[in-house]
Amino acid sequence: MFPRGKKRDTNEEIIEQIILKKYNSYYRMAMSYVHNEADAADIVQEGAYKAIKSSDSLKHVEYAETWIYRIMMNEIYRRLDTKKIVSIDDEVSAELQIEDTYENIDLKRALDSMSAGEKAVIQLKYFEGLKLEEIAYVLGENLSTVKSRLYRGLKKLRCEMDNYVMKGDEHNAG
Amino acid sequence: MPDNNRILELYKEQYEKPVMNDKTVFEMKQRMKQGKEEKRSMKKQKVYKGCAIAAAVALAIMILPNTSKALASVMGDIPILGEFFKVITFRDYKYEDERNVADVVVPEVTIADNVDNIVAEEGKKTAEQINAEIRDITDKWVEEFKSIMEDEGYHNITIDYEVIATTEDYFTLKLICFKALGSGYEEHHFYTIDLKTGKKVELADLFKEGSDYKQIISENIKEQMREQMAADDAIRYWVDNTDFPEWNFKEITDDTSFYVNQNGEIVICFNEGEVGPAALGTVEFIIPKDVVADIIINE
Repeated sequence: MFPRGKKRDTNEEIIEQIILKKYNSYYRMAMSYVHNEADAADIVQEGAYKAIKSSDSLKHVEYAETWIYRIMMNEIYRRLDTKKIVSIDDEVSAELQIEDTYENIDLKRALDSMSAGEKAVIQLKYFEGLKLEEIAYVLGENLSTVKSRLYRGLKKLRCEMDNYVMKGDEHNAG
Repeated sequence: MPDNNRILELYKEQYEKPVMNDKTVFEMKQRMKQGKEEKRSMKKQKVYKGCAIAAAVALAIMILPNTSKALASVMGDIPILGEFFKVITFRDYKYEDERNVADVVVPEVTIADNVDNIVAEEGKKTAEQINAEIRDITDKWVEEFKSIMEDEGYHNITIDYEVIATTEDYFTLKLICFKALGSGYEEHHFYTIDLKTGKKVELADLFKEGSDYKQIISENIKEQMREQMAADDAIRYWVDNTDFPEWNFKEITDDTSFYVNQNGEIVICFNEGEVGPAALGTVEFIIPKDVVADIIINE
């Protein structure tokens, strides 16, 4: 498929093509953590830069897609570490009112009760279509950790949403 | 997990809303370019470490073209290109304010001064012709950029070049023009020079006289389009379209871009919107050697 060039050039080309195709996926993933357009764009830009720059270190080009996800996730986590999570949450509520026009604040609350890791597993699996093995690689965890996060995450989502329904009923009653 | 479906759908709906805007995508591309440049200079440092003379040579060359993509190719290909031809960065135009970014690098093909033979003579003419065309294109883009700078929104243009697909016989200068004025648009221009004659190569030059290369290549391209469309629902070309038959790709022309890749295969290039929806971007088709085996001129 990529007949020309040495292996290393091919690596760079393939990684570049994947990034150009999937940058919105990385952006969404970043947005789901930082809730801020400037920070999310910064994460994607930084991740894209690092992926290209270190493209030679990718040994098996067939894993390029998951490899880039891994770089992006590291960028996201790094950002979360440097910024206090609390302050990010403050920004969220301020920004939510502007950005989200429909009332999904309870979903938001459900998401906030999930750990960063649980969110990552659910989003990578259901929205980005990665296999559990790939997710384990992206997050640098073993498979059983990924599986238990997936179940915990799903459980939390469901619990919180049940609350959502109940609260809605109360409103109607009152 | 049927219960979770509804929840996940709501979650997904919200999750999928954010999209990057043109400005941040543009910045991302710039960062990727930076990554490439830094990677290459790192590599070079390794190669030349401990070898003072080689390092000095590398530095001297590095001063000429200042985009690394071109630099890398030019450096790699100096034994071939270097006899007469060099590609240098002729002019830069850079502008940046809050809403407007222009990063224009204009390449120029030059001939070594001290060479005096027919090929160099011919090469000089070719270079002048190509350089004039490139200047026209880049001037037009910069003019357009300047004329809309005051308008609302973000405006970005990037022009860069690459020396690609160098074989023993040819080298191709690829001019890459990208603009994001509202939506993104990219176009490529290709200039191929025959290193043995110094002349600019047209597609027709590669084939035996009187051969029907346009039709043979076009049929192969259509075949490739059909194959790609069958393999991937997301890909759409204008071929076999019964609703708008007038849009359909019919045949390549004298103006159709091409180059010869390192395997000696002819690559046909189309700009956005030429053979499919603009969203498809610029597309290239590698024409297998056996398709043109009977009509190509063998060196």
